[in-house]
Amino acid sequence: MLEFFDCNVAYGVWSVPPFKPLTRVQELLEQMAWSGIGRALVRHAAMDNESPPVGNRLIVEETAPYAQLRPSWAILPTRTGELGTAEEFLAAMRRAGVRALWAFPSKHRYTLDGVTCGDLLSALSERRIPLFIQRGETSRGLTGWELAGALLKEFPALILVVTGHGSWGEDRYFRPLVETYEGLYVDTSRYELDGGIADFCRKYGPYRLLFGTNLPAANPGGAMLTLAHADIGDEERQLIAAGNLDRLLSEAQP
Amino acid sequence: MSNPSPLVAEFTETGKGADCPVIDCHAHYGPFQGIYFPKVTAEAMIDSLDRCGVRWVICSGHAALVDPARGNEEMADVVRRFPDRFRAYMALNPNYPENLQAELERLDDLGGFVGLKFLSDYHQYPITGEKYVPAMEFAQARGLPILMHTWGRSAYDSPQLVAELASRYPTVPLLMGHSGHGDWEGAIRTALDHPAVYLELCAAYAVNGVIEAFCERVGSERVLFGTDLPWFDPHYGIGCVLHARITDEERHNILHRNAERLFGEALGHS
Repeated sequence: MLEFFDCNVAYGVWSVPPFKPLTRVQELLEQMAWSGIGRALVRHAAMDNESPPVGNRLIVEETAPYAQLRPSWAILPTRTGELGTAEEFLAAMRRAGVRALWAFPSKHRYTLDGVTCGDLLSALSERRIPLFIQRGETSRGLTGWELAGALLKEFPALILVVTGHGSWGEDRYFRPLVETYEGLYVDTSRYELDGGIADFCRKYGPYRLLFGTNLPAANPGGAMLTLAHADIGDEERQLIAAGNLDRLLSEAQP
Repeated sequence: MSNPSPLVAEFTETGKGADCPVIDCHAHYGPFQGIYFPKVTAEAMIDSLDRCGVRWVICSGHAALVDPARGNEEMADVVRRFPDRFRAYMALNPNYPENLQAELERLDDLGGFVGLKFLSDYHQYPITGEKYVPAMEFAQARGLPILMHTWGRSAYDSPQLVAELASRYPTVPLLMGHSGHGDWEGAIRTALDHPAVYLELCAAYAVNGVIEAFCERVGSERVLFGTDLPWFDPHYGIGCVLHARITDEERHNILHRNAERLFGEALGHS
């Protein structure tokens, strides 16, 4: 029986909500039970829609009673002090049991590069803490894969997870980055390409794909059934479904 | 999993449903400009159909969407080689109107073509434009379905333009490919106002809650399944239908029954 650990889940209140929002953590848990998603790495809508200090607090408080939910946090540049110094932020992560981070540079109006975030990005690289960005994210005039490539060129040891990479054919963009940077991971929430997962695994192995659904924006059934019956071995399937994310979180050392 | 559906359990376990022979109403064939396809041949597509329990696939050739004269012939050859799995839409390019009538006239000779295909956003020509009139009249005279790419707020194929076209040709089955993606309310209103308009789910299925809204407000009898194959793994769309909060009866309607009714004898159904 395949066990799913979803790397790309959110809940909360959005300024512009998705078509079928999940507002409270209990709604998320019910949805996960309906679909058979055992565990999830979760973010709160307030982390990007409101502010990281607020969202980071809410996600830890609200997920604490539920072992199947692992909280993630959002970063900000340390120069403005809202999240403390890099060391203080990492210490807070340790206390809260947080082992994965998100960056929303366009909404939070900062530049995701060494000049603005170098202290934090260097620390994340050294401590193998995965940083998640959405495919549609923009910074320094770069979008999506160009931004991911620029970030990894500057911080080649960074573990960077790009989510929601779009269904209209992006392999020509991200496969060269996968070959060049061993820290690049891709979530499967929109990896709909027929035969894509199997073709990717034949060339690169299963280790760089993370199962994700992009709940509540996306219907989780697509990503689940696609992975469940992809033309790959069961061991590879389980790594993508949960094992790779488990490994990343266990190796992270805030 | 708390979803109690036997159909969901069967697909989850085996990847297909023994009593649910899926019909893919929106597919393509051949390479295309902006995407790498690992499974691009007809044989590779059949492998995907078999893995996912898809009985029939109705395709427009990618080449035909640019050059109908060459591409429709190529598509016809696939139908001739695999007559038990493939049917075709005749693709038309309105930017070459001088060729359109001749293309329509050879539909019967090509064999296996069960409808027409418009790709107006790509052709940058509105579905309501006069260059499509011969095709609309042809479809009206024969009762042929037309699958059209539709997208919310498009200047060429929005749900509002589909409604305008449906008012002019109320008996022609208009299959709204992607269901006017993004303008869900517009798509629902167009389907409610025009009984021959169908909501086709390709890409739309991925938006959580859309399938439920279509079934609740328009009815599952007007919703069709499609995948853009070889673009999207059929399991992706099937999984979305399975995990939607609808009944198994509604899932059967979407995944095959509506297409069996719409395409009838062309797919071996009387």
